[in-house]
Amino acid sequence: MKQRPLLILAAALVAAVAPPTRAASAEHSLDDYRRFRALSIDLAGRAPTRAELAEMESPGFDLDKWIDAHLEGPAYVERLERIYMDQLRLEVGPAFQFTPPATTLHRETILGPDGKPIWVYYRQNQRRARVETDGEFCLSQAETGQLFPNNQPPRGTAIPVKQKAIDAATVLVRPWWIYRDYRAASPKQRYGLDWGSEASGYALIKEMVFEPDGITPTTEVRVCREEAQAAEIGHIYASGRGAPVKPPPKKGAPAKPGKVPPPPPPRPVPPPVAPMVNGAKPMDGMGGLAKAPVAMGGTPKPPALQDRLKPPPGDNPYAVQHKGEEVSCRGVVAETMTIDCGCGAGLEHCLPGDGFAQDPRAFSFPTHIPLGLDLPFASGAQNASSWNKLWWSQEARHFFTRLFGTDRDFREVLTGRWSAVNGPLAQFYRSGALASCCGRERQFKMMDESEPLFRPAAVPTDLLPMDTDKWEDVADRGPHAAGLLTMPAFLAKYASRRARGAAVYSSFLCKSFVADHVDLKPSTEPNLMVREGCSTCHATLEPLAAYFSRVEETNWVFLPKEQFPVENPVCKKNAQGKMPGFCDFFYDGAFSDAKAGSLRGAYAAPDHAERGPAGIAADVTAQPEFASCAVERVASSFLGRPVRDDDARLLESLRGTFVSSGYRMRPLVKALVRSSAYLSANDDRSSLRAPVTLGTAPVAAPPMGAP
Amino acid sequence: MKRLALVAVATLATACTRPEVLPRMPSAPLAESGHTALDTTPKQDRRLVPAEAYVRTYLQLFGGLAPLEVQRRARGGDGGSLFDTWDDYLSALGFPDYRLDLPRGTQTNALMMAAFERLGVALCDRAVEHDLKSRPPPFVKDRLVFAFEPPGGAVTAAAFAPGFDVLHRTFLGYPARLGPAGREAAFFELYQQTAARHAEKGAVKSRFTPSESGWAAVCYGLVRHPEFHLY
Repeated sequence: MKQRPLLILAAALVAAVAPPTRAASAEHSLDDYRRFRALSIDLAGRAPTRAELAEMESPGFDLDKWIDAHLEGPAYVERLERIYMDQLRLEVGPAFQFTPPATTLHRETILGPDGKPIWVYYRQNQRRARVETDGEFCLSQAETGQLFPNNQPPRGTAIPVKQKAIDAATVLVRPWWIYRDYRAASPKQRYGLDWGSEASGYALIKEMVFEPDGITPTTEVRVCREEAQAAEIGHIYASGRGAPVKPPPKKGAPAKPGKVPPPPPPRPVPPPVAPMVNGAKPMDGMGGLAKAPVAMGGTPKPPALQDRLKPPPGDNPYAVQHKGEEVSCRGVVAETMTIDCGCGAGLEHCLPGDGFAQDPRAFSFPTHIPLGLDLPFASGAQNASSWNKLWWSQEARHFFTRLFGTDRDFREVLTGRWSAVNGPLAQFYRSGALASCCGRERQFKMMDESEPLFRPAAVPTDLLPMDTDKWEDVADRGPHAAGLLTMPAFLAKYASRRARGAAVYSSFLCKSFVADHVDLKPSTEPNLMVREGCSTCHATLEPLAAYFSRVEETNWVFLPKEQFPVENPVCKKNAQGKMPGFCDFFYDGAFSDAKAGSLRGAYAAPDHAERGPAGIAADVTAQPEFASCAVERVASSFLGRPVRDDDARLLESLRGTFVSSGYRMRPLVKALVRSSAYLSANDDRSSLRAPVTLGTAPVAAPPMGAP
Repeated sequence: MKRLALVAVATLATACTRPEVLPRMPSAPLAESGHTALDTTPKQDRRLVPAEAYVRTYLQLFGGLAPLEVQRRARGGDGGSLFDTWDDYLSALGFPDYRLDLPRGTQTNALMMAAFERLGVALCDRAVEHDLKSRPPPFVKDRLVFAFEPPGGAVTAAAFAPGFDVLHRTFLGYPARLGPAGREAAFFELYQQTAARHAEKGAVKSRFTPSESGWAAVCYGLVRHPEFHLY
């Protein structure tokens, strides 16, 4: 009790000596205002309003609390996202087209029996039981008066098509893009009436919503029968035809050397096993593949070549040997080797298009979204490729949003197996992504993707293709997933193994490749790690590229070890020093020998090839430069200039904060915006000192709130 | 032969002579001719406000609207004479185009300045229409830019100051009194000259009154001010 007066006295002394707190200060300096404006621009995403200035001037204002609150906000997340989007530019350009034939529905116009135009959807190169239309549009020239070349306008003069022919070759479907409840037996929730609009983020172009007359609303679409099937498993189809019938050589032309294989004996066409999808209505009750006008069991008689654009496709040896075997309906072979795989219920595995163009349009969506998808600057009809590419980019942005918004360990940018998808991405991972495989891979007994980077089973089942604004977390994409590195946005943007390795090296280790001053001399040395003039960069780059040996270039197909060993005896060189032709795409002849072919890209570091993208993620994040680089990128962005030697102490301090907090960005940014470097990040402070005499150490004015 | 041998020996001896070496001499100290001061002020440029922050600020000044709605209102009934479309400005404002690998603009350039000017003028004109010309006029708290009652009649410097302070805070983020000396007077002169020019007989017909034109000119000056675009 006796000590109480002393305590009061001490408190009074402290109060008298201590400067007034910021909150109690009535007057603010120009530096205070400028600092607040800078913080607003960096953490609130815009300059402060008059009301916010008034709040800052109020007696109870606490800048630290303000900073803390804004480090939880969306503008802070966007600010950090911008740093890495500027670096990685994860939007895929127009040079990259993505229209897999197996999941792209094109549209042709025919004349109905009454002479009015009708639209019919189909897949290019679709195998069909009818020899007249096998590999082409499902109605023949004899029926329509026209031929329908891929990606070109029809040739010939259209004639009214008989109803019987239309019904035999096509069915009516209520598709997913018009009916939200397309999986129901009788879909009713129609686009434009019950759901869907530009504002909701899902908008069809007019040509997809109205019939060719431009007035009648589309209630059902007419689709070629094969495309309308809903089975998930199909069967290898062999028509019984051998090599395609080619036109006879011109008179006098030399005959080509080599044997012409005799046509295999005719085989019966397997009956269709797939059920028709909703609304599939054989109008006269006689439609269906089994009753298609094709010879059953006998030798099919090829049509005259003038009735087709190209000879009917023949059976390749694989189809002959494996006829009738089950295959997944989601891969490339579903369209080119079966006749019983379609686009699924309500055509949900395919993207529609408004015409014959290679990259047709169906949707209207934003063209410029620098402030995000919610604030578009322009919208318009765009092609199917752009639809896919938009959502790939959005997946990367959502990944960043979650990473920074929930302040996760930043190493997960490379190592995280989680992601988030919406409806279009769910559709892509269920169908489009798988439709990139397997053509060439078939020779290695890979009929469909056995180890995809994103397991289709991990895709949320409740997401429908039109759910553009509904995002769901995916906890684990699969064992090969590695943060951004296995997302289509990254793999399409950085299409080659070397580009992928270099992107990781420069973006996450802040290192670049600088060529040495040597002459580039002609050389036959295939190993770029030792070739003079190349080695200075490639000695580092090739091992980095090797991590991506198992991910196909310009694609995301993962090449499993089982079918694609790094050293593959199947691809060994023969006595002439050549590998089998089918190996060239996957195996590098320059590093192969008489014992085995060498997986492309793996020669520099076979162990890296085995470890894959997840391996480079683990190795890069374990390096000390990873944290330094992240700190450097964030500091440079907030300071508005490249970091310099003068910043070494600041960077070291920030790095300590970053690493000790578990590689989390929020503590790093909090420390950065409170640093004197950030406060003096421009040369227009009111507290600038007059030049001092040479030799006098500069004394920095203490900035507001600086530690 | 003997002569030749002598010549050869003499030549060899000369060639092997040690080269002449000049001994190092300490240089004379330079005479001090003056005392130079070291400029310790920071030398880095001020940061350009990121394009995203600039546009978000712009949208906020337009009433917190979405970009397409701002475009609709900025164009108004004038078509493209006051505001074209966002597409025409985005790259000029420094936005990166990730699709085409075009990097972010981090320094101003002539095209960027022209875009700032065009957008700024559109904002100020529409703000005059909204804040000052609407009938009945909106409450001060509901005004976007000109959140004050403009003084009527002959405007004095003292009457001009409160309105200018509002605009100064709106665009530059701090009170006018903290600005450089002479700024307020310069803007008052701008106001007066603009208003006088519009009040002259035979002046070009304008939809703004002289006073409104004066305030619009002040707004143009601030929305194009380097302090608005840098931080």
